[in-house]
Amino acid sequence: MSKKPLRRTLVASLLLLSSFSPAVSQHDAAASTALAKEDAGELNLSAAKALFDSRSACFVDARSEYAYYTSHIKGAISLSESRFDEQFPDFRQKKSIETLIVVYCVGINCPKARHVAEKLKKNGYRNVKVFSGGLAEWSHAGFPMEG
Amino acid sequence: MVSCRLSDGGMSRFNAKTPMATIGFSSALITALRLLLGAIFIISGSEKLLDLKFFGLVIAEYQILPPLFIPAVAILVTLCELLCGTMLLVDLFSRISASIMLGMMAIFIAAMTNNVIRGLEHDCGCFEFLAQWYGLKEEIGIGPIVRDILFFILLLPIALLGSNRIPWKKRQG
Repeated sequence: MSKKPLRRTLVASLLLLSSFSPAVSQHDAAASTALAKEDAGELNLSAAKALFDSRSACFVDARSEYAYYTSHIKGAISLSESRFDEQFPDFRQKKSIETLIVVYCVGINCPKARHVAEKLKKNGYRNVKVFSGGLAEWSHAGFPMEG
Repeated sequence: MVSCRLSDGGMSRFNAKTPMATIGFSSALITALRLLLGAIFIISGSEKLLDLKFFGLVIAEYQILPPLFIPAVAILVTLCELLCGTMLLVDLFSRISASIMLGMMAIFIAAMTNNVIRGLEHDCGCFEFLAQWYGLKEEIGIGPIVRDILFFILLLPIALLGSNRIPWKKRQG
Protein backbone atom coordinates (compact mmCIF):
# COMPACT_ATOMS: atom_id res chain seq x y z
CA MET A 1 0.00 0.00 0.00
CA SER A 2 1.36 3.48 -0.92
CA LYS A 3 2.23 5.85 1.88
CA LYS A 4 1.66 9.01 -0.23
CA PRO A 5 -2.15 9.34 0.20
CA LEU A 6 -1.76 8.86 3.95
CA ARG A 7 0.92 11.60 4.18
CA ARG A 8 -1.22 13.97 2.09
CA THR A 9 -4.21 13.36 4.32
CA LEU A 10 -2.15 14.05 7.42
CA VAL A 11 -0.73 17.33 6.06
CA ALA A 12 -4.14 18.47 4.85
CA SER A 13 -5.78 17.76 8.19
CA LEU A 14 -2.98 19.59 10.05
CA LEU A 15 -3.37 22.63 7.80
CA LEU A 16 -7.13 22.53 8.28
CA LEU A 17 -6.76 22.32 12.06
CA SER A 18 -4.28 25.18 12.28
CA SER A 19 -6.41 27.46 10.11
CA PHE A 20 -9.47 27.00 12.32
CA SER A 21 -7.72 26.97 15.70
CA PRO A 22 -8.80 30.05 17.71
CA ALA A 23 -6.04 29.61 20.29
CA VAL A 24 -3.23 30.38 17.89
CA SER A 25 -3.56 33.81 16.32
CA GLN A 26 -1.44 34.99 13.42
CA HIS A 27 0.50 37.39 15.65
CA ASP A 28 1.27 34.72 18.24
CA ALA A 29 2.47 32.35 15.56
CA ALA A 30 4.71 35.01 14.04
CA ALA A 31 6.02 35.96 17.45
CA SER A 32 6.84 32.39 18.43
CA THR A 33 8.56 31.79 15.09
CA ALA A 34 10.60 34.95 15.49
CA LEU A 35 11.51 33.99 19.03
CA ALA A 36 12.58 30.53 17.98
CA LYS A 37 14.83 32.01 15.32
CA GLU A 38 16.37 34.59 17.63
CA ASP A 39 16.40 32.41 20.72
CA ALA A 40 19.99 32.90 21.71
CA GLY A 41 20.86 36.14 19.93
CA GLU A 42 19.42 39.58 19.53
CA LEU A 43 16.11 40.45 17.93
CA ASN A 44 15.88 41.96 14.49
CA LEU A 45 13.21 44.43 13.41
CA SER A 46 10.66 41.87 12.23
CA ALA A 47 11.04 39.80 15.40
CA ALA A 48 10.65 42.89 17.57
CA LYS A 49 7.58 43.98 15.61
CA ALA A 50 6.05 40.50 15.93
CA LEU A 51 6.48 40.66 19.70
CA PHE A 52 5.10 44.19 19.76
CA ASP A 53 2.00 43.11 17.81
CA SER A 54 1.47 40.03 19.97
CA ARG A 55 1.66 42.24 23.10
CA SER A 56 3.52 39.43 24.79
CA ALA A 57 6.62 41.48 25.61
CA CYS A 58 7.44 44.57 27.63
CA PHE A 59 9.58 47.05 25.66
CA VAL A 60 12.25 48.81 27.72
CA ASP A 61 13.99 52.01 26.60
CA ALA A 62 17.63 52.03 27.78
CA ARG A 63 18.35 55.58 26.63
CA SER A 64 18.41 58.56 28.96
CA GLU A 65 15.09 59.60 30.47
CA TYR A 66 15.02 62.89 28.59
CA ALA A 67 15.45 61.02 25.30
CA TYR A 68 12.62 58.66 26.28
CA TYR A 69 10.50 61.69 27.19
CA THR A 70 11.03 63.12 23.70
CA SER A 71 10.08 59.94 21.79
CA HIS A 72 9.95 56.20 22.34
CA ILE A 73 8.38 53.00 21.06
CA LYS A 74 4.69 53.03 21.89
CA GLY A 75 4.05 51.57 25.31
CA ALA A 76 7.73 51.24 26.20
CA ILE A 77 8.97 51.79 29.76
CA SER A 78 12.04 53.91 30.57
CA LEU A 79 14.88 52.10 32.31
CA SER A 80 17.95 54.13 31.44
CA GLU A 81 21.43 52.74 31.74
CA SER A 82 22.65 55.89 33.49
CA ARG A 83 19.94 55.91 36.17
CA PHE A 84 19.18 52.19 36.35
CA ASP A 85 19.52 51.99 40.14
CA GLU A 86 17.03 54.81 40.70
CA GLN A 87 14.46 53.51 38.20
CA PHE A 88 14.74 49.77 38.80
CA PRO A 89 12.75 49.49 42.08
CA ASP A 90 9.69 51.00 40.38
CA PHE A 91 10.17 48.74 37.35
CA ARG A 92 10.50 45.68 39.62
CA GLN A 93 7.14 46.46 41.19
CA LYS A 94 5.44 46.74 37.79
CA LYS A 95 6.97 43.78 35.97
CA SER A 96 7.44 40.25 37.29
CA ILE A 97 10.64 38.34 36.60
CA GLU A 98 8.82 36.03 34.17
CA THR A 99 7.94 38.93 31.85
CA LEU A 100 9.45 38.80 28.39
CA ILE A 101 11.48 42.01 28.07
CA VAL A 102 12.78 43.60 24.89
CA VAL A 103 15.46 46.22 25.53
CA TYR A 104 16.42 48.82 22.94
CA CYS A 105 18.38 52.05 22.65
CA VAL A 106 19.23 54.38 19.76
CA GLY A 107 20.59 51.93 17.21
CA ILE A 108 22.93 49.12 16.37
CA ASN A 109 26.06 50.87 17.68
CA CYS A 110 24.49 51.78 21.01
CA PRO A 111 25.73 49.56 23.88
CA LYS A 112 23.19 50.79 26.44
CA ALA A 113 20.55 48.16 25.57
CA ARG A 114 23.02 45.31 26.12
CA HIS A 115 24.18 46.83 29.42
CA VAL A 116 20.60 47.20 30.69
CA ALA A 117 19.79 43.65 29.52
CA GLU A 118 22.76 42.35 31.52
CA LYS A 119 21.68 44.29 34.60
CA LEU A 120 18.14 42.93 34.28
CA LYS A 121 19.46 39.38 34.02
CA LYS A 122 21.59 39.95 37.12
CA ASN A 123 18.44 41.06 38.90
CA GLY A 124 16.62 37.83 38.12
CA TYR A 125 14.86 38.56 34.82
CA ARG A 126 15.31 35.49 32.64
CA ASN A 127 13.48 36.40 29.42
CA VAL A 128 15.45 39.42 28.30
CA LYS A 129 16.06 40.16 24.61
CA VAL A 130 17.86 43.03 22.91
CA PHE A 131 16.37 44.72 19.87
CA SER A 132 19.65 45.72 18.27
CA GLY A 133 18.23 47.95 15.53
CA GLY A 134 16.81 50.20 18.22
CA LEU A 135 14.69 53.29 17.82
CA ALA A 136 16.41 54.37 14.59
CA GLU A 137 15.34 51.22 12.76
CA TRP A 138 11.90 51.22 14.38
CA SER A 139 11.08 54.82 13.47
CA HIS A 140 12.55 54.41 9.98
CA ALA A 141 10.13 51.53 9.43
CA GLY A 142 7.27 53.80 10.48
CA PHE A 143 6.24 51.61 13.40
CA PRO A 144 4.21 53.03 16.33
CA MET A 145 5.94 55.66 18.43
CA GLU A 146 4.85 58.09 21.12
CA GLY A 147 6.26 60.93 23.20
CA MET B 1 41.01 101.30 41.63
CA VAL B 2 39.21 104.64 41.83
CA SER B 3 35.84 104.38 43.46
CA CYS B 4 33.28 106.90 42.21
CA ARG B 5 29.79 106.20 43.49
CA LEU B 6 27.87 108.73 41.46
CA SER B 7 24.29 108.83 40.25
CA ASP B 8 25.22 107.35 36.90
CA GLY B 9 25.74 104.10 38.72
CA GLY B 10 29.40 103.59 37.97
CA MET B 11 29.61 104.66 34.34
CA SER B 12 31.90 107.48 35.45
CA ARG B 13 34.48 104.82 36.21
CA PHE B 14 35.27 104.74 32.52
CA ASN B 15 35.98 108.45 32.55
CA ALA B 16 38.23 108.09 35.55
CA LYS B 17 41.67 106.65 34.93
CA THR B 18 40.83 103.15 36.13
CA PRO B 19 42.91 100.13 35.11
CA MET B 20 39.92 98.73 33.19
CA ALA B 21 39.43 102.00 31.36
CA THR B 22 43.04 102.03 30.35
CA ILE B 23 42.78 98.57 28.79
CA GLY B 24 39.96 99.76 26.56
CA PHE B 25 36.64 98.85 28.20
CA SER B 26 34.30 101.54 26.96
CA SER B 27 30.71 102.01 28.05
CA ALA B 28 29.66 101.13 24.48
CA LEU B 29 31.39 97.76 24.79
CA ILE B 30 29.70 97.10 28.15
CA THR B 31 26.34 97.99 26.62
CA ALA B 32 26.95 95.69 23.65
CA LEU B 33 27.92 92.81 25.98
CA ARG B 34 24.89 93.48 28.16
CA LEU B 35 22.49 93.38 25.23
CA LEU B 36 24.10 90.31 23.66
CA LEU B 37 24.30 88.24 26.84
CA GLY B 38 20.89 89.45 28.05
CA ALA B 39 19.26 88.27 24.83
CA ILE B 40 21.08 84.92 24.95
CA PHE B 41 20.01 84.26 28.56
CA ILE B 42 16.40 85.21 27.81
CA ILE B 43 16.30 82.79 24.86
CA SER B 44 17.92 80.06 26.95
CA GLY B 45 15.58 80.62 29.91
CA SER B 46 12.45 80.85 27.75
CA GLU B 47 12.99 77.53 26.05
CA LYS B 48 13.62 75.88 29.42
CA LEU B 49 10.43 77.40 30.80
CA LEU B 50 8.46 75.93 27.87
CA ASP B 51 9.44 72.40 28.91
CA LEU B 52 10.59 72.32 32.52
CA LYS B 53 10.09 68.55 32.76
CA PHE B 54 12.56 67.94 29.95
CA PHE B 55 15.10 70.29 31.58
CA GLY B 56 14.63 68.50 34.90
CA LEU B 57 15.33 65.14 33.24
CA VAL B 58 18.52 66.57 31.71
CA ILE B 59 19.63 67.84 35.14
CA ALA B 60 18.97 64.35 36.53
CA GLU B 61 21.30 62.95 33.88
CA TYR B 62 24.18 65.00 35.35
CA GLN B 63 23.93 62.70 38.40
CA ILE B 64 25.08 65.42 40.76
CA LEU B 65 21.93 66.45 42.62
CA PRO B 66 19.61 64.27 44.74
CA PRO B 67 16.36 63.59 42.78
CA LEU B 68 14.34 65.50 45.40
CA PHE B 69 16.02 68.83 44.53
CA ILE B 70 15.90 68.50 40.75
CA PRO B 71 12.47 70.12 40.05
CA ALA B 72 13.32 73.08 42.29
CA VAL B 73 16.75 73.53 40.67
CA ALA B 74 15.18 73.35 37.19
CA ILE B 75 12.81 76.19 38.10
CA LEU B 76 15.54 78.20 39.86
CA VAL B 77 18.00 78.02 36.95
CA THR B 78 15.27 78.90 34.44
CA LEU B 79 14.05 81.89 36.44
CA CYS B 80 17.61 83.09 37.09
CA GLU B 81 18.37 83.04 33.36
CA LEU B 82 15.14 84.83 32.49
CA LEU B 83 15.36 87.47 35.23
CA CYS B 84 19.09 88.14 34.90
CA GLY B 85 18.78 88.23 31.11
CA THR B 86 15.96 90.74 31.30
CA MET B 87 17.80 92.90 33.85
CA LEU B 88 20.94 92.87 31.69
CA LEU B 89 18.89 93.84 28.67
CA VAL B 90 17.19 96.82 30.37
CA ASP B 91 20.31 97.71 32.40
CA LEU B 92 18.70 97.23 35.76
CA PHE B 93 21.07 95.97 38.46
CA SER B 94 23.37 94.78 35.69
CA ARG B 95 26.33 94.17 37.99
CA ILE B 96 24.30 91.98 40.35
CA SER B 97 22.73 90.12 37.43
CA ALA B 98 26.09 89.56 35.76
CA SER B 99 27.54 88.36 39.08
CA ILE B 100 24.69 85.84 39.51
CA MET B 101 25.22 84.60 35.95
CA LEU B 102 28.96 84.37 36.59
CA GLY B 103 28.24 82.06 39.50
CA MET B 104 25.89 79.97 37.37
CA MET B 105 28.42 79.75 34.54
CA ALA B 106 31.05 78.56 37.01
CA ILE B 107 28.66 75.83 38.21
CA PHE B 108 27.78 74.81 34.63
CA ILE B 109 31.47 74.63 33.64
CA ALA B 110 32.31 72.57 36.75
CA ALA B 111 29.34 70.20 36.24
CA MET B 112 30.08 69.59 32.56
CA THR B 113 33.81 69.16 33.14
CA ASN B 114 33.10 66.70 35.94
CA ASN B 115 30.83 64.59 33.71
CA VAL B 116 33.17 64.70 30.72
CA ILE B 117 35.95 63.42 33.00
CA ARG B 118 33.61 60.68 34.28
CA GLY B 119 32.98 59.65 30.68
CA LEU B 120 29.25 60.36 30.74
CA GLU B 121 27.45 61.23 27.53
CA HIS B 122 24.23 63.18 27.70
CA ASP B 123 22.45 66.31 26.61
CA CYS B 124 23.92 69.61 27.77
CA GLY B 125 20.59 71.26 28.61
CA CYS B 126 21.94 74.57 27.32
CA PHE B 127 20.23 75.55 24.07
CA GLU B 128 17.74 72.84 23.22
CA PHE B 129 16.21 74.91 20.41
CA LEU B 130 19.40 74.30 18.42
CA ALA B 131 18.55 70.60 18.40
CA GLN B 132 14.86 71.14 17.73
CA TRP B 133 15.21 73.77 15.01
CA TYR B 134 18.54 72.95 13.41
CA GLY B 135 19.10 69.31 14.40
CA LEU B 136 22.33 70.19 16.23
CA LYS B 137 23.01 67.89 19.15
CA GLU B 138 23.86 69.74 22.33
CA GLU B 139 25.76 67.08 24.25
CA ILE B 140 28.25 67.83 26.99
CA GLY B 141 31.81 68.13 25.77
CA ILE B 142 34.58 70.55 24.97
CA GLY B 143 32.34 72.76 22.78
CA PRO B 144 29.73 73.70 25.43
CA ILE B 145 32.46 74.02 28.09
CA VAL B 146 34.48 76.47 25.95
CA ARG B 147 31.28 78.39 25.13
CA ASP B 148 30.43 78.75 28.84
CA ILE B 149 34.02 79.87 29.56
CA LEU B 150 33.55 82.50 26.84
CA PHE B 151 30.28 83.63 28.45
CA PHE B 152 32.11 83.79 31.80
CA ILE B 153 34.82 86.01 30.29
CA LEU B 154 32.24 88.24 28.59
CA LEU B 155 30.26 88.60 31.84
CA LEU B 156 33.31 89.74 33.81
CA PRO B 157 33.44 93.34 32.47
CA ILE B 158 29.72 93.80 33.22
CA ALA B 159 30.10 92.39 36.74
CA LEU B 160 33.12 94.61 37.40
CA LEU B 161 32.24 97.78 35.54
CA GLY B 162 28.53 97.66 34.74
CA SER B 163 25.99 99.76 36.54
CA ASN B 164 23.60 98.96 39.36
CA ARG B 165 21.46 101.93 38.56
CA ILE B 166 17.68 102.07 38.63
CA PRO B 167 16.64 103.92 35.44
CA TRP B 168 13.47 105.57 36.81
CA LYS B 169 15.39 106.91 39.81
CA LYS B 170 17.86 108.55 37.46
CA ARG B 171 15.02 110.20 35.58
CA GLN B 172 13.60 111.56 38.86
CA GLY B 173 17.01 112.95 39.82
